[in-house]
Parts: sequence; structure tokens; C-alpha cells
Amino acid sequence: MRQINAIAVAIFLVLVVVLFAFTPRNTQVMQARFLGLISPLLRNGSSLQKQIVGFREGMKKLNELDAENKQLRIELSELKATDQTLQGLAAENNQLRRALQYRERSTFKLIPARIIARDASTWWSTIKVDRGSNDGIVPDQPVLTEDGLVGKTTVVAGGISTVLLVCDENCGVAATVEGTLERGLVRGTRTSTAAEPDLTLNFLSKEANLKPGERVFSSGVGGVFPAGVLIGEVKKFRVEPLEGVASVVPAVDFSTIEDVFIVTGGAK
Amino acid sequence: MIYIYLLLAEFFSLAAQEYIPPLPYGARILLLPLVFFYAALAVPPAGMLFLAFTAGFMWDALVATQRVDGNLEISLGWSIILYAALGAIMSGFRPLFQRGHGWEIHCLLSGPLLCVFVLSEYLMITFRRGGFYFPKLIWWRIGGEGLAAMIVSPFIFLLLHWVALSFGLIPPREEREAAQL
Repeated sequence: MRQINAIAVAIFLVLVVVLFAFTPRNTQVMQARFLGLISPLLRNGSSLQKQIVGFREGMKKLNELDAENKQLRIELSELKATDQTLQGLAAENNQLRRALQYRERSTFKLIPARIIARDASTWWSTIKVDRGSNDGIVPDQPVLTEDGLVGKTTVVAGGISTVLLVCDENCGVAATVEGTLERGLVRGTRTSTAAEPDLTLNFLSKEANLKPGERVFSSGVGGVFPAGVLIGEVKKFRVEPLEGVASVVPAVDFSTIEDVFIVTGGAK
Repeated sequence: MIYIYLLLAEFFSLAAQEYIPPLPYGARILLLPLVFFYAALAVPPAGMLFLAFTAGFMWDALVATQRVDGNLEISLGWSIILYAALGAIMSGFRPLFQRGHGWEIHCLLSGPLLCVFVLSEYLMITFRRGGFYFPKLIWWRIGGEGLAAMIVSPFIFLLLHWVALSFGLIPPREEREAAQL
């Protein structure tokens, strides 16, 4: 072996050993820095992609857009009214809980975020959103849409975060089934992807006998995901030797969502 | 200069592959490994190791190192080892590249080497998560990515090679052949 190659191999091995010695915390800091470094490219790529899509949509007729605009304004007013009512109910609920000396339920703040990149890996289901530590985001915060649960934040940089989707095998969510006392754990299978999600609800009792269409919500156990967020619907129930297992169709279409909300805080 | 060029190509390809939609059943078109395989042909073995380090580091930082309950699923550094091992195989065919057989070598080897890369990643997560689970879908993803790499590789090779020759970053074929003799 030529001397220069031997020196290169030695330096290479030393550097790799140094990287192997990184703690998970240091690795995450390094990942966040790299994510911050690549984020301008991802943001620009995303806006370019949106411009192209926007150009195509711009071909729509003006009267169609006008009708759509009117419809959206009506929906916005309705949602504002509903939100005000719910805020009042939340305040009243907390007041009553206080009167009964229960712990006050935390009210969460939702930060809207836009998806700027979808997962580019074969074995992990992630997306990247345009909000990060500058907006108060930290790792392990739930991400959802108006339809249901999306996932949780993992690596967070200044203006960008990586979100691990519910359909990934690594993202387990404690769940309950509507109208039953059944509790279990929802997670993706190893072959599950954002485009073809495959969720299972494990650790159910063998007698659960869930019916297709029954809704599955997060139970709030574990501390990451708030209780009562829709995860999906039961597709099929089967009994295995030790437990009951249900296949779940996610409420959110991971391949088409463009905007999400990141749940921060628990500020009162 | 060739190293800066290839380093930038690795960086941009990593960002670009985020926007390529998946193939059916979840197989992906991975650009960074293809750029690295070109680099392994274009530069000597010592330089290949430098570029394996940068490619593996970027891959781990953005794609492969996932945090699960406070721990890392795959430690930082494994992708670097994988890139270096596959780059060493590619580097063995460098004399053919010097003689002008560039894109054929790149195309023929990219598929199998990418399959080995993706399979190694899968074995690592299988070891970590438990359960030896190999349905047909997994084999399709591994094979499909290899096949996609072979289809895309001539375009990647020709683009990178054309830019490198245009800016004089690598000598023309005649000079490379003469240098070998």
C-alpha cells in the first residue's frame, strides 16, 4: 500500500472512532446544526416546487377562485365562532376543576407549520417543517392537523424541524378505542411508509372484538401526545396467541398534507 | 478543486433527493450514493476516503440517525464505514475509468452496490428493533432502489463528468491513459 493511502486510512479510522464516541445528545446537536445548514436549500426547493404547482393552479378560472374564496371566508367565520365558544368552555371547565380541587387541564398552543420536504429515506418515515427552535419548538412535541395526529418532532434546528410520522415503527402512541375501555399502543409496521401507511393497535384484550370503523384516539399516556387526538379508524381486528391486534387506517393522508400544527407548551 | 466540486455535488444531491417522490411500494431514488460512486471513480483511494467520510456524515446527519426514546437507532459513523467499503470496491475499477470506460462501470456497479447499502441499513435496524422480518416488500424496496439507481446513474455520471471536464477538474481521457502508462 502506498504511504499516502496508509496515512489516509489511519486518519479516516481515527475520525470514525471519534464519531462513534459521540453521545446521543452530542449527535443530536450536530444533526440540528447540519439541518440548519441545509435548511436554506430545502426551503428554496420547497418554494420553487410550490411556485410550479401555484402556476398550474393559477390556470383556474377567476370565477372558480372567487367562489372558493367566498366559501373559505364562510368556513373561517364559522371556525372563529367555534373557537371562541370552545375557549369559553375550556375556561369554564378549568374553573370547575379548580373548584373541585382537580389539577387544571393544560391549554395547548398550536403553531402552524408548512411541510418543506418529505422523507427521502427507505426505512424511516419523516417530514421536514419550516418551524424550529426560533419558534419555540423542542424535540418530542406532537404534530397534528385538523384531521388527526401526524407525529412528533425529533431533530429541531433554528427554522426547521424533522417530524417522525405516526406510521413509522419507532413512533408509538398510547391509544384508546372510542366507546370501549380498550387501551393499546398504535405504531407503524416496518414496511409502512407515508404513501402506504400500515398501522397496528397492539396489546388489546382478546375479547375486544373491535368493529371496522371504530375510532382510535390518543390516550395521553406517555406524556408526549395529548389525550383525545384522532389517530384513525379500525380496519380489521384479529386475535393473536397473547393479545388482540387491530389494523388501523390513519385519519391523516400523510402523502398529501401540506400544513400541520405543532403543539407547544401546556401554558395556562 | 475536484474535491470541493464533489463535496458540493454531494451536498446538493442530498437536498435534491428530498424532492424526488417515492416509487411504488416505498422504493426511493437515492442521489447521494450515485454521486459518491462517481467520486470513487474520479479520485484516488485516499481522496475517496475523504469523500466517503463527508457523504456518510451527511447521510447520518440528515437521514439515517434517528433518535428513539433518547437513544440513537444507528450510531453516527456507520454510514461512513458503509460508504468507504462500497467506495473501495468502486475504486478498484478506477483503471477502467482512466481508460475511458466510465459510465458503463458506474451504471453496472451502482445497482448492486446500492442494494448492498440499503440492505445493510435494513439489517442494522432489524438488529436494533428485533424480529427477523423479510417480506417481499422489503426485497422489492432493496432491489427496486438498485434498479432505479442503474437507470438514473448514466445521467448523473454524464452530468458530473461533463462539468468536471468542462472546468478542467479532471484531465481528459488521453492524459489519464498516458498517466497510467
